[in-house]
Amino acid sequence: MEEEKLIELAQGGDRKALGELVKLYEQTVYNFSFKICRNKEKAENTMQETFLSMVKSLSQFSGQSKLSTWLYRVVSNHCLMLARSQGKHEYSSFEDENASIDEKEIADWKVTPDKVTENVELKNMLDAAIQKLPAEYRVVFLLRDVEGFSTEETAKMVELSIAATKSRLHRARSFLRNELNRVLAYE
Amino acid sequence: MNEIKPTCKEVMLHICDNLGEELNSAKCISIKAHMENCNNCKHYFNSVETTIEFYKKYNVELPEEAHNRLLDILGLKE
Repeated sequence: MEEEKLIELAQGGDRKALGELVKLYEQTVYNFSFKICRNKEKAENTMQETFLSMVKSLSQFSGQSKLSTWLYRVVSNHCLMLARSQGKHEYSSFEDENASIDEKEIADWKVTPDKVTENVELKNMLDAAIQKLPAEYRVVFLLRDVEGFSTEETAKMVELSIAATKSRLHRARSFLRNELNRVLAYE
Repeated sequence: MNEIKPTCKEVMLHICDNLGEELNSAKCISIKAHMENCNNCKHYFNSVETTIEFYKKYNVELPEEAHNRLLDILGLKE
């Protein structure tokens, strides 16, 4: 059944249709939550909160945006709120982004992205690097570069201007690349 | 017409700024021309692209227990 029809039925109280909607998006929501939190317990908690929020607000869902886009926004906001409540702000690494580029000698990385599915060490390194990014930067990087939303869509989801979104994206890309380079440049 | 000749640092900053966007702009064309003859910038570009690919390919599966707990919480268990 089409998503639009499922939403309509779920809005009318059809529990089976609601279950179908949950099944349709639970993997996406869990995976994206994990990508922000880098922790399976927190990812599960975020997924539960997101779907509870969906059930609560579904009657007001107008269908102007896709349900998936709306879910991404809920996950992002939940994770940002969580990070703010934990007081995790580590902006010191971003003070002078231009100084972080040493253009004299740039190494050619030998490792290919395919290795990530089987290499636990590499996964740990990716987790460690992205966890150093403040959540506000992490969310923008993940929405735009990893999940493939446009800069405009990303800006809308995190309620930032396009200029501020681009600035965070630039810093996140540069920061993550430099973090990975510390290890991958010498392999 | 003035030809734009960016430095390596400008190229690297541009890469993080505009990766995959505005590919036909004058700035982007000058960046591509620079990269054709500059291994350092080519390596930098590849490393930024690889960074993104790493995070794209690193996915996790929803555990069955987590799926069951979710349906339970939502009151949707059959």
